[in-house]
Amino acid sequence: MTSSGSRYRHLFTPLEIGPVTTRNRIVFSAHLTNFAEDGLPSDQHVAYYEARAIGGTGLIITEEHSTHPSDWPYEKLIHGFHAEVIPGYRRITDAVHRHGTPIFAQINHNGGQASSMFSRMPVWSASPVADPLFREVAKGLTKREIAEVVAGYALVAGHCREGGFDGIELQCSHSSIVRAFLSPTTNKRTDTYGGSLEDRARLLREVIAAVREAIGRHMALGVRLCGDELMEGGTTIAEAVELGRMVEAGGQVDYINTSIGVATASLFMIEASMAVPPGYALYISSALRRAVSLPVIGVGRFKDPLQADRALAEGHCDLVGVVRGQIADPDFAAKARAGTTEEIRLCLSCNQECVGRMGLNRWLGCIENPRTGREAEALPSPRLPLGQRVVVIGAGPAGLQAAIDAARRGHRVEVYEREAAAGGQVRLAALVPNRAEFGDMVRNQLTECARYGVVVSYSQEPTLTDIDALDPDVVVVATGAEPTRPYWAPVEAAEGTPQVCDVRDVLTGTARPSGRVVVLDEVGFHQATSVAELLADRGCTVEVLTPGMVVGQDLGITLDMEHWWVRATAKGIAQTTDSVVMGVQPGGLSVLHHPTGAMRHVDADHVVIAGPQRPDDALYRALKSRGGRYELYRVGDCVAPRRAHAAVVDGHRVGVSL
Amino acid sequence: MSTDGPATASALLRPFDLRGRRLRNRIVMGPHETNLAYRRAISRRHVAYYTRRTRGGVGLVVAESASVHPYDWPYERAPLAADCEAGWRAVADACHGDGALVLAGLSHAGSQGSSAYSQRELWAPSSVADVASREVPKEMEPEDIDAVIGGFAASAALALDCGLDGVEINAGQHSLIRQYLSGLTNLREDAYGERSRFAREVLSAVRAAAPGAVIGLRLSCEELAPWAGITPESAAEVVGSLAENLDYLAVVRGSAMATSATRPDGHTPAGFNLDLVGQLHAALRAAGSGIAVLAQGSIVDVGMAEAAVEDDVADLVEMTRALLADANLPNKIAAGESDRVRPCILCNQNCMVRDPRNPIVSCVADPRTGHEWDQPTVLDVPPVSRTVVVVGGGPAGLEAARVARTRGHTVRLVESTERLGGALRAAAVGAGRERLARLADWLERECARTGVGLQLGTQADAAGLRATGADVIIATGSLDGARTYVVHADAADAVHTARSVLQAIGAGTLSALPDGPVVVWDPVGGPIAVSVAEALAAAGRSVTLVTPDPIAGNELSRSGDLAPANSRLQAAGVSLVRRSVLLAVGPGRVSVENRFSGSREDLPASLVVDAGFRLPNEALWHSLDEDTLRAGDEVAPRTVYEALLEARAAVMELDGRPMPRPRPRGKPSRQAPPPATPPTPPTVPAAPTGPSGPPTVTVLEGAGR
Repeated sequence: MTSSGSRYRHLFTPLEIGPVTTRNRIVFSAHLTNFAEDGLPSDQHVAYYEARAIGGTGLIITEEHSTHPSDWPYEKLIHGFHAEVIPGYRRITDAVHRHGTPIFAQINHNGGQASSMFSRMPVWSASPVADPLFREVAKGLTKREIAEVVAGYALVAGHCREGGFDGIELQCSHSSIVRAFLSPTTNKRTDTYGGSLEDRARLLREVIAAVREAIGRHMALGVRLCGDELMEGGTTIAEAVELGRMVEAGGQVDYINTSIGVATASLFMIEASMAVPPGYALYISSALRRAVSLPVIGVGRFKDPLQADRALAEGHCDLVGVVRGQIADPDFAAKARAGTTEEIRLCLSCNQECVGRMGLNRWLGCIENPRTGREAEALPSPRLPLGQRVVVIGAGPAGLQAAIDAARRGHRVEVYEREAAAGGQVRLAALVPNRAEFGDMVRNQLTECARYGVVVSYSQEPTLTDIDALDPDVVVVATGAEPTRPYWAPVEAAEGTPQVCDVRDVLTGTARPSGRVVVLDEVGFHQATSVAELLADRGCTVEVLTPGMVVGQDLGITLDMEHWWVRATAKGIAQTTDSVVMGVQPGGLSVLHHPTGAMRHVDADHVVIAGPQRPDDALYRALKSRGGRYELYRVGDCVAPRRAHAAVVDGHRVGVSL
Repeated sequence: MSTDGPATASALLRPFDLRGRRLRNRIVMGPHETNLAYRRAISRRHVAYYTRRTRGGVGLVVAESASVHPYDWPYERAPLAADCEAGWRAVADACHGDGALVLAGLSHAGSQGSSAYSQRELWAPSSVADVASREVPKEMEPEDIDAVIGGFAASAALALDCGLDGVEINAGQHSLIRQYLSGLTNLREDAYGERSRFAREVLSAVRAAAPGAVIGLRLSCEELAPWAGITPESAAEVVGSLAENLDYLAVVRGSAMATSATRPDGHTPAGFNLDLVGQLHAALRAAGSGIAVLAQGSIVDVGMAEAAVEDDVADLVEMTRALLADANLPNKIAAGESDRVRPCILCNQNCMVRDPRNPIVSCVADPRTGHEWDQPTVLDVPPVSRTVVVVGGGPAGLEAARVARTRGHTVRLVESTERLGGALRAAAVGAGRERLARLADWLERECARTGVGLQLGTQADAAGLRATGADVIIATGSLDGARTYVVHADAADAVHTARSVLQAIGAGTLSALPDGPVVVWDPVGGPIAVSVAEALAAAGRSVTLVTPDPIAGNELSRSGDLAPANSRLQAAGVSLVRRSVLLAVGPGRVSVENRFSGSREDLPASLVVDAGFRLPNEALWHSLDEDTLRAGDEVAPRTVYEALLEARAAVMELDGRPMPRPRPRGKPSRQAPPPATPPTPPTVPAAPTGPSGPPTVTVLEGAGR
């Protein structure tokens, strides 16, 4: 495999991390999964990590294991301080080791970046400072409690050693009691644990010493440091570098991992969406690597092997964290090594089902990989004999996914798409500013279709007779959804009243709004805000209006909200909330402010609607009412118009059920 | 409070018959979300939670609503009827043993569900997007309708088979049946466009599957959307058409367009539904229907509940939240001690659990609520009687004193001011928060009644405390927090904390504060700033609320007051300056900065109310031994819930019985049972121990997916 390895020469060079050797430089770095059950590692953890080990990743660092009962910031946390975790650790490490992959455990106490909701204890931190997200004033620790915290780290490190881990990572970076002590924003202490960096780092040194003592010299020990808290008065790169030198000088630590931001203040810069350029945090590992000789891990939206290889070649880091890339495609490393880079299911950095589900206390998934988060569940056994003729109508995400899974199960699959291109609404969504990477979903699905021999035909809309003539065994209808027109919107604008169109008309170019444009957000996701930006970029004066309390109410879960606000203000886009459109009138709209009942006029030459859609289910209904000698399914928006992930899940479910 | 006559005179205690089954009284614990389920099964925690109330005398418990179809998975720990067999059986056995009747709540949330857990589309009569989630559901096909009706029937049969007395069918908030009944959501053109047809078919299928079962219908009789929604008049008609298969009607209000109207907090008057209940009751009687009527809607006061029955407004009264605050409410009525009932203050802070984080149901007034399984009662009496000095007469100090005294200790409470109640009294001055004072009153009364020595206007110090030789609990509350903005020297008088402004309003000395426009700075997002802004607006002041968040009162969603608070503020003319931080206070003005554009603006302000975070008042504690017990804001300023919880923990610690440290909720069998008088667990056979890992009980908890 050396020839393919040479395509990414740096990426596939082994590295020693203390007593551990990795086969390549790709790290499946720590991230929450919400897979824990009853505070313990689950079979899903085992299957999830094993899939990435099979896929050839160089090193796995698990999600955090809590070191103390006072730390329970979210429900599905692994309580590493109970010895009951050890059998689960064993199952994980055995599974991963079977594939020659080393695995480290991240151990952590989240400090004041937590809530007492689950622990029903005060949250513990350096000083009584409230966290910006959880907004609970922490209990400033006594020295005795500090000693208890340190002992907790040692205890859990011991559990990890017994559980078969190859190393320990101390998360001291973006959500940690160690960060709370390190950062002047949260450490207001006047004793020997506060003040100078030397004193603020005292807890870190004590934890390192205690953990090293607990694990001995046969396990690796790493520290994850925050390079920039992005907070006024917080840690910056200069101090992070100084800290890195201090950690190295202590002689106990084998590697340094890096991070940017504070999880409870600037998560949108830690798990950045596609709105932030790839490699945006590389300056941190780069600066640290220049300062220390320990191996340094670089992170921050590494999506493809070429980009990762270049970061290594240019000396910005020694290892590269590829988390979302391997959430989307567990075989990222294997495909890169084999030289089949184009087959990698590229992460979109959409954050919808990975990051987005974490914040909502749901299991981790992936918008384009329906198996992610479900690795431990067996697929249904094949029901139909191989080689069935499967006809899929519609090449949007639902139709393509059904086709991929049916073909992968050995059926003959053909897809008919009425448009000249695949992707349906995903293709349109990717046309707007900062959303281009969303379109990789279509590319990824078409790549898989090609791989499994799915035939996709474009600009074809088979009739019932055409479908009969194909003599299919299975028909999957995936005809999508169509916009609806609000009751108050006239089809033909009267003289002087605004033109009303749908966001889709803007994206397809059917409508070209100009002048004063009101974008109506009744959906709360990217539809309204992205089109508003597109139109503002084209020189329109744009106001986004919503009946809700916030424009783009769901942008927060994908960490796009802050970016939207920054860009919207920069582009002069006005945002009006709590407002319901009652009708068009000359020069604009009549709008009700529902909290007060006040009516007002809003100027508009054009109105663009981002509203609920209606399923385009005519074909399905016709096929169903007529009946046929084939199995009939429908998937995606033609069942109920939803987001892309629902379409993929529908398609997958039907595809694997055949 | 009412002065009750002889105990037996209470109308609430009269028995009542439903389909041949006798309710011992009129008090009902209604179906509500608890997040006590294990996966989707009714758990032992449920059993402990319900039996604490049946032991307290409640007449009827309706268990947490269970979904009748697996695709309906509205919140992660929503019970699924098919997974509830063991749990229902255990609940039935335990509650019957206490003399109460139990029904299963049965539900399908329709378009108000969630696709996140089931990974399936939502089902509804028509493709009408839900107002909150904005998700468009699937218009149900005939086979879907059959499946749901069949699910209701099968679930009812199962409930009866498990020994429950019947079912309550949900057509109230979060329900598919209501969505069929409502013109807001049912736009069908087929036979189910006759909007009561689905409900009728469900009820007749349930009756056929479970003859002999009590069947109740929880119906939204007022969707607060008269243009297309259910109105009291249309509701009466619907109920009339369903009457043959119904034993009682639970009258509620609200719809997807008004979710917070169904179980609002104290900003809505207690008993807000009684007129509606009376209207339905009268209409049913006029139509000759014998269906019993159950009143719901913030009925938490004994007197109000008694009047509802006495005046024939309703036959039965749901007092769910009151029973969360005091599990022994019915027994206290029977004992003639209605005035000793621990009050529900309608704060919704810990009992509302429809939240993705899956908080466990609990109560600020009784933090053991929802934790019956894993938290010991404080009611046992320890062998050693001690002398205890509690410093601080806020909620933490009062609760510590009350509990210590109840446990047989000699207790003295030392308070530096002349008034008991601390921060709770100040908070109760806020608009719509008046009921908070009732908890302070109750704590104060109970301390006095049990014989806690009260020493007001006294500053405790370390030397004095040491000299007593007593055990000490420190509960000295909080201090003003550090200012995060600049105050110019000539504007120093303009800045006041929310605490001091509330106290001034309470004392009637608001006029002593600077006149003119007010800016309320709220980095917290809780109820305090909103209530101060409202109170000041009501006092005629021009108010601007500055928040770093996109929404005022950002943290109020759990209590259900987020949207209502924003509406009230705007209706009261309060200006909202959102996504902004307070930078500086100058004479007559403040400077604020938008967090995302960096742009700054000046706002007129002669009075600035700082509703920011507070600091622990821990100087006294620091002057004492490190082992000295402490509780409440003195540890870290939080809410009354933590204050009461920690006060109890401190007393238990004193008695050498520390509260168990928190454990994951899943399998209670992993935990040692609480040391004293735990609720008797139901007789559930233990499952065999697995090959690895600790023993687990799978019969109750593991029946899930």
